[in-house]
Amino acid sequence: MRAWAYMLGGLIVWTVHFFAIYIAASVFPGLPLGHVLTLLITLACLAADAWLIVRLRVPSGGDDFREWMRKLALVGAGISAISVLWQGLPALIV
Amino acid sequence: MSSETGFDPALYDRFPTKGERPAGELKQLEDIWCKPKGWELLTAVNNNYIGFFYVATAFAFFLLAGVLALVMRVQLALPLMGVLPQETYNQFFTMHGTVMMFLFAVPAMEAMAVLLLPQMLAARDLPFPRLSAYAFWAYAVGGLCFFASLFVGLAPDGGWFMYPPYTSTTYSPGINADFWLLGIGFIEISAIAGAIEIIVGALRTRAPGMTLAKMPIYAWAMLVFGVMIIIGFPSVILCTLLLELERAFNWPFFDATRGGDPLLWQHLFWFFGHPEVYIIFLPASGLVSMVIAAVNRTPLVGHNLIVLAFLATGFISFGVWSHHMFTTGMPTLSVSFFSAASMAVSVPAGIQVFSWIATFAMGRARYNTPTLFLLGGLITFVIGGLTGVMVAMVPFDWQAHDSYFIVAHLHYVLIGGMVFPFFAALYYWTPMTSSRALSERLGKWIFWLMFAGMQVTFLPMHLTGFMGMPRRVYTYLPGRDWDLLNMISTVGAFLFGAGVLLFLIDCARNMRFTTDNDAGNVYRGGTLEWLPTGLYSTRSIPVVKSRYPLWDDPDLPKDVEEGRYFLPNSATGLRETIVTSPLRAEPQYVQIMPGPSPWPLLAAIFTAGFFMILTIQAYYTAFANGVLAIACILRWMWDTDRLVPDKKVDVGAGIMLPTYRTGPGTHGWWAMIILLIVVGMIFTMSVFGYFYLYGIHPQFWIKPPDVTWLVPILLGHGGGAGLAILARYMLARENTELWTPGVLICCAAASLLFGFGVDCWNWTAHGLWPTASGQGAIVYAFQSLQGILVFICVLMAGYLSARNSRALIVCPRNNTMDLVVMFMCYTAVEGIAAALIARLFPGPF
Ligand code: HEM
Repeated sequence: MRAWAYMLGGLIVWTVHFFAIYIAASVFPGLPLGHVLTLLITLACLAADAWLIVRLRVPSGGDDFREWMRKLALVGAGISAISVLWQGLPALIV
Repeated sequence: MSSETGFDPALYDRFPTKGERPAGELKQLEDIWCKPKGWELLTAVNNNYIGFFYVATAFAFFLLAGVLALVMRVQLALPLMGVLPQETYNQFFTMHGTVMMFLFAVPAMEAMAVLLLPQMLAARDLPFPRLSAYAFWAYAVGGLCFFASLFVGLAPDGGWFMYPPYTSTTYSPGINADFWLLGIGFIEISAIAGAIEIIVGALRTRAPGMTLAKMPIYAWAMLVFGVMIIIGFPSVILCTLLLELERAFNWPFFDATRGGDPLLWQHLFWFFGHPEVYIIFLPASGLVSMVIAAVNRTPLVGHNLIVLAFLATGFISFGVWSHHMFTTGMPTLSVSFFSAASMAVSVPAGIQVFSWIATFAMGRARYNTPTLFLLGGLITFVIGGLTGVMVAMVPFDWQAHDSYFIVAHLHYVLIGGMVFPFFAALYYWTPMTSSRALSERLGKWIFWLMFAGMQVTFLPMHLTGFMGMPRRVYTYLPGRDWDLLNMISTVGAFLFGAGVLLFLIDCARNMRFTTDNDAGNVYRGGTLEWLPTGLYSTRSIPVVKSRYPLWDDPDLPKDVEEGRYFLPNSATGLRETIVTSPLRAEPQYVQIMPGPSPWPLLAAIFTAGFFMILTIQAYYTAFANGVLAIACILRWMWDTDRLVPDKKVDVGAGIMLPTYRTGPGTHGWWAMIILLIVVGMIFTMSVFGYFYLYGIHPQFWIKPPDVTWLVPILLGHGGGAGLAILARYMLARENTELWTPGVLICCAAASLLFGFGVDCWNWTAHGLWPTASGQGAIVYAFQSLQGILVFICVLMAGYLSARNSRALIVCPRNNTMDLVVMFMCYTAVEGIAAALIARLFPGPF
């Protein structure tokens, strides 16, 4: 399980972000609180992604397979950061 | 090199072994995995047979749904045509869409996996061969009955997504809609059975050394596909169940006048429905990625990125369901989230497309039939993808919604993303199951007819849509300038049909099913399915050192065939395969596999019978079918989970592996966890429904019963779980009496039944009835789900006691016992969660 969480960490952050902002927007429809919560959740998830990226940048020192997992996780976290930002942007513009 | 399980990777260096293998080994393998003869074919469970039947059946449904499409196109060729009356047209487009999506696209992809995965992973078979057989037969028998409803005018007519209130009894009083709701029921069961098989197969039966990094890209696609089914299908299982409950018993889930809400259906349906598109596309993309590498004779460019793209698609596709509901008036902020996610999901698809283009650029493509289908699919899919990004823009979607623009878009995506890759795969892999390859000359004709037909049919539909023609209309008036475009579309559809007809001719001329004399690696693929095989799959199971083992080690086929790798014989004298660890594929134990059996077939017939007969409201007969289906399943299970005399066996080169394992590492445990995720997702979606209905219509809600009633309910459920765990603990104690575990498990089931009974009684005594309001309906939906689980627990307790009495529950650990205990604990947790939610939220306001 730990290995999967390691490999999919970035994508899990993205999922948590998506559902959290969806719930925030549905529970407070049309209210400024919905926007504020969205921004806060987005910042928190971006921080989580940044933390993942910093940790994953260092080579694991393991064999080829371990390195393969690390690289997959690193790119996943990068993609997640961009997606989280993209997904949170509507709170600033609508 | 590090290890995942303690297995020493240096042991791989013992392979390929030297010296001759003893005579008679191969004969023994052939005898154990012998061919079924005559009627025995019906009892076959081997993936070579089931996979082939499965692909052929899925293709037959493609043909049937295609014929419906052609008739519809004739009806639309000119204004005011009289080929199909309005009601029949409605049934035709509903059946066409439903059959294409549920009986062709998803099953065709599962079918390919049943056929290809074991070969590609060099496993002797998928881990649960009888489950594959059951999934196939339930689908084939049920699917045909479902389709037959068309001939008696009872086919569903509410569109493939069956929106209420149109499909409620008020507006659809006949049993047509019930056919859809129950008909989809067994397809869901079959899809989930297939997904369990595929996930466990891809993670636990890979050839030793095939780490996740070396796993073929197709297996990755199928892994993500399986997980998506597990997460997505529960939602449609739930919504079909709820709508059927509403129709049969008047529980108002979707009735806005009584505190239900029709949009709940749309949320639940599309939470499944949109990922469904990727469920169809991902495996096709896996197939494309395999074939593209082979026809270009170069490794796939961006393999790791494609893996990531699959994973990202798996996640993001669950965040886009509401883009089918942009016109329903959701809060603006939510709409923008879904719009953003819908655009984001095109990024992984883009990664795949660019990787494929790069692979073409790097390799030396040969323009044979599979290549043509790949390129045709790519072009068509990209066009569909672009119109997809267009409709992801909310203001554009408001204009294009429900017009022919959408019909064009969805066909571009489905045909480009799934049908053309499927044909590429059929051409590419036919030499693996047939003694002759399909004809290249005819193949090119077929491709050009289908490709041209596709464009001629659907390109003009974008315009027809822009010019205002709505989808799902059985005819139109002259003088709207739609006539010519529609005529062109109809001509195109017949071109497409001609291509498919020619394909049938090609199959009739060249397809000769075989299990041991295939045409071989005509297209020079580099992966393991091209090793020489018999019904036992490969003679020995190779150690995998790269992604394209056949390209990197030209001696591999010979060494494998001479038995120089793992399991060159039958170590236990039974059907068996090696179970390996999920990450690094290190050998863990030898799994004994079940052989041919009539029970999966019979269970499938009765399952399909149960659902279909329920539709025509012959309740007693349906019930009898249900009981028989359960009896057959229990009978098939009875033979499984047995010990063999040798605790450890030599699997080659002196490496010894156990023949029986228990606990979290076993394939059975994995399957149960996956099943529990399915059940958990059904419950999670019903919790979503609960909060959703409260959020929309709080005025219909009444105060829940007093919270002190939670005490006996929680005690019942908690006691059930505790007793089940105690039974497992007692089994491991040396001085336990023979009957103790069975009795404890029965007490556990009784305790769960008690908790459930008190919960139900408490609500009725409180005066809330399921027909009263949305709250009543959803609370009793919780109870119904719990009731089903408790019923299964009671069955399991009976089954386990019966095995116990026959001394089949062996000490100190036993898989059947472990799985029953897990299921009971889960049932307790769900029962407790349901009781708490319904009483504490929104609470005694
Ligand atoms: C050349 C082959 C095909 C033709 C000529 C065709 C034609 C049609 C037509 C005429 C409709 C009804 C449009 C309407 O009245 O709104 C339709 C709907 C649909 N088709 Fe196809 N189709 C073809 C292939 C496919 C394939 C391969 C799939 C899926 C894998 C598919 C999935 C659907 C779906 C989901 C619908 C929507 C049904 C609904 O509105 O409920 N079609 N198609």
